[in-house]
Amino acid sequence: MDMKATKKKLGMKERYRALTRDLGWESSYQDKDAIFPYVNYEGIKVHDWDKWEDPFRLTMDAYWKYQAEKERKFYAIIDAHAQNNGHLNITDARYLSALKIFLQAISPGEYAAHKGFARAGREFPGVGTQVACQMQAIDELRHAQTQIHAMSNYNRYYDGFHAFADARDRIWYTSVARSFFDDAMSAGPFEFMIAIGFSFEYVLTNLLFVPFMSGAAYNGDMATVTFGFSAQSDEARHMTLGLECIKFMLEQDPDNLPIVQAWIDKWFWRGFRVLGLVSTMMDYMLPKRVMSWREAWEIYGVENGGALFKDLARYGIRPPKGWDDAEKAIDHMSHQFMLGLYQWSFGTSFHSWIPSDEDMDWLSAKYPDTFDKYYRPRWAHIKKLKAAGTPFKNYGLARLCQCCQLPSVFTEPDDPTLTCHRETVYKGEKYQFCSDGCKDIFDNEPEKYIQSWLPMPALFSELGGDVGAWMNWVSLRDGDDNGDYDGSTDQKHFNEWRGLATSNL
Amino acid sequence: MSYELTIEPLGQTIEIEEGQTILDAALRAGIYLPHACCHGLCATCKVQVTDGEVEHGEASSFALMDFERDEGKCLACCARAESDLVIEAEIDEDPDAENLPVRDFDGTVSRIESLTPTIKGVWIKLDKPEGMRFQAGQYVNLALPGGIGSRAFSIASAPSVAGEIELNIRIVPGGEGTTYVHEKLRAGDRIRIAGPYGRFFVKKSANVPVVFMAGGSGLSSPRSMILDLLEGGFEQPITLVYGQRNRDELYYHDAFLALAETHPNFRYVPALSHEPERSGWQAFRGFVHEAAKAAFDNDFRGNKAYLCGPPLMIEACIATLMQGRLFERDIYTEKFISAADAQQVRSPLFKAI
Ligand SMILES: Cc1cc2nc3c(=O)[nH]c(=O)nc-3n(C[C@H](O)[C@H](O)[C@H](O)COP(=O)(O)OP(=O)(O)OC[C@H]3O[C@@H](n4cnc5c(N)ncnc54)[C@H](O)[C@@H]3O)c2cc1C
Ligand code: FES
Ligand SMILES: [Fe+2]
Ligand SMILES: [Fe+2]
Ligand SMILES: [Zn+2]
Repeated sequence: MDMKATKKKLGMKERYRALTRDLGWESSYQDKDAIFPYVNYEGIKVHDWDKWEDPFRLTMDAYWKYQAEKERKFYAIIDAHAQNNGHLNITDARYLSALKIFLQAISPGEYAAHKGFARAGREFPGVGTQVACQMQAIDELRHAQTQIHAMSNYNRYYDGFHAFADARDRIWYTSVARSFFDDAMSAGPFEFMIAIGFSFEYVLTNLLFVPFMSGAAYNGDMATVTFGFSAQSDEARHMTLGLECIKFMLEQDPDNLPIVQAWIDKWFWRGFRVLGLVSTMMDYMLPKRVMSWREAWEIYGVENGGALFKDLARYGIRPPKGWDDAEKAIDHMSHQFMLGLYQWSFGTSFHSWIPSDEDMDWLSAKYPDTFDKYYRPRWAHIKKLKAAGTPFKNYGLARLCQCCQLPSVFTEPDDPTLTCHRETVYKGEKYQFCSDGCKDIFDNEPEKYIQSWLPMPALFSELGGDVGAWMNWVSLRDGDDNGDYDGSTDQKHFNEWRGLATSNL
Repeated sequence: MSYELTIEPLGQTIEIEEGQTILDAALRAGIYLPHACCHGLCATCKVQVTDGEVEHGEASSFALMDFERDEGKCLACCARAESDLVIEAEIDEDPDAENLPVRDFDGTVSRIESLTPTIKGVWIKLDKPEGMRFQAGQYVNLALPGGIGSRAFSIASAPSVAGEIELNIRIVPGGEGTTYVHEKLRAGDRIRIAGPYGRFFVKKSANVPVVFMAGGSGLSSPRSMILDLLEGGFEQPITLVYGQRNRDELYYHDAFLALAETHPNFRYVPALSHEPERSGWQAFRGFVHEAAKAAFDNDFRGNKAYLCGPPLMIEACIATLMQGRLFERDIYTEKFISAADAQQVRSPLFKAI
């Protein structure tokens, strides 16, 4: 017989199986527990790794092909942006404060996520899980890189971009995001997946990325829009991975439920605190606004989060413990945090400013129950001080929360005139917290959080309280990177260059 | 103007309207295609077009790159048909699906019976002697006259009697179609149905015990499925948990009692939620999900569950099953979705339930 049977092309499903599940093997000369030493110690019981359903069927070869093409496209756009003075197309240089915070606090988070997923991919025994984590690890590395590259063009012209790595490690407000990721990375693999794969990628990512990316689009920042699109084409995979992991844990054994619930409580609250930075960006830092923080919360928090927790209720999961406190904080947090940033602006590697009258009218329209009552009077006072030549500066150091590391600037859930403050004494030391949520997290794992590196104590322990030395240490150039936007070099340069670009002078 | 959309590897052909997205057409036909953002950003819904022309709509150039467009890929959530289409999607072939083609069938109403104060049994004798081939659990669209249009009803009879189709139709207060059936439709009327539709059928190939949960007018599919299984000599345990408000509404009760007598592998668990206190009802009082939980001692492992009825009942049953450790891969539902349900925001945690 010399008739050749044409071999049927493998279907997508078989192709996937061949390139993922088929790559695994049973170990013979090493004990499974020795190979995967971390997978049991969190108490999560898994009876059958084969029940892990691969949330997407992407093979490594196809993955490389897609990502390479995305890179090519991305850099073509970024290069064009740089060559055509894209930085002058933004609405106003105030917008850059949002970018600086993103670069100092969030892009390093992408890198941390990369490390975390690389580790999780090694620590989980299931092959499907390993492959999915590996891909996400590479994605997150790419996100960190593309973000840094997209923003590096701004570094040629504006202050505050030059030392984001030092800022990430040493400055105070960035330690909020950093400690979030460090906490996740130093947890076991399953908790890491809840922290980043579930809480961050699913519950919170839309609140972070969607407003930020639309903010970029509204404000003419095409470089950021481009990395946004490029990253967003990976995000669905990330969300599905987080969702699959939580389903897997809940379905494998009923004993997993209370463990998962505790992690959901913890990571919702930790994530919510990180989002404090975003609320301020949305309500105060975009010259051309997209929507208020309250509106974003309604869509992405209440509606989408509500739908998710409704579905999770089928497993017996209840909404996160801090959900109600979060809801009560929504109309206050951006104002409280921006007031904090303004009074400590000598120590920020970005500019803040007093909102204009027009800004304040927008804020009272968006926050009819809170802005005029609690926050407009404070801004009015601060404005008066500035006009009198005695701008309001707070050279005292903020009391930081031992858990989320934000300064305790937030108020009691049921009394917006009273600063919220909790404390715990552990082994003879007193620890401070911004909220019940943060205190609960500490009380549950005190040995972990007493090791936290906190920036304010570090100023004393490492630099003897010398603010000038501290500025050098965090690579913050006094008078350039920090302080009020009004009168800054960024403001001066942007207006000059834009003038040159749009006039015949 | 509409086109035909064939979805591989299912081999099922459905209709797609001009301007309708592939995803929308598929979901409305009960075929789940993976999706997430629904507006061209995330690429979850990427499918291969193997035949025909599409318009890519608002697909992001990162989610669907140029080389992929050249390869014939598209994003189902924004691609619209410009001709008849064949697509290949990342969905599993279902060994139990017969993929029967949808056809129009003319027939005559042969009998109408009041099964309960709110439900009428309607029998339709089809003109074609061989009748309509369908899988137990599927439904038909009943075309009603006078501009009412067509309405979906599950087939209540077994596939073995293909020449005469039985429907059980509950009147919806203010509902044009069901009111017509209850008040105007008469034996002898000519009528047209289209079908069979739907992917709600028993996964016989899994060969594991099955539990049906039915409430309200949701009994039709489970009844057809049970009759079909028993006729076919299915040997695994079969349980029907069947709930109504009161005894008057509990139609086919005696018939199920009789089936349970003659088939040792069939267990019948009726439940009444609003039966008067002293009525002499000896069996379970409460909702379907509560009856099921009690009947299975809160442990549904090893079963496959088929749920049919109003959305609230389905939701309660799913939670009960999941807390009794039966999960999405073993739960199948037919929701009588109304427009209001379809608009609810859902999370992507579950695909089909
Ligand atoms: C796949 C499928 C199978 C079905 N099988 C059966 C069956 O076997 N027996 C049966 O009795 N019904 C069944 N239904 C429900 C049936 O299709 C509707 O009750 C019917 O279409 C209502 O038509 P109408 O013209 O009377 O009401 P409409 O005029 O279309 O609607 C009147 C009002 O009632 C609401 N409404 C419509 N349907 C429902 C509903 N199901 N529940 C609550 N409110 C509703 C509408 O939103 C509207 O407000 C099935 C539905 C689907 C999708
Ligand atoms: S569902 Fe996200 S691109 Fe289609
Ligand atoms: Fe990322
Ligand atoms: Fe991500
Ligand atoms: Zn805190």
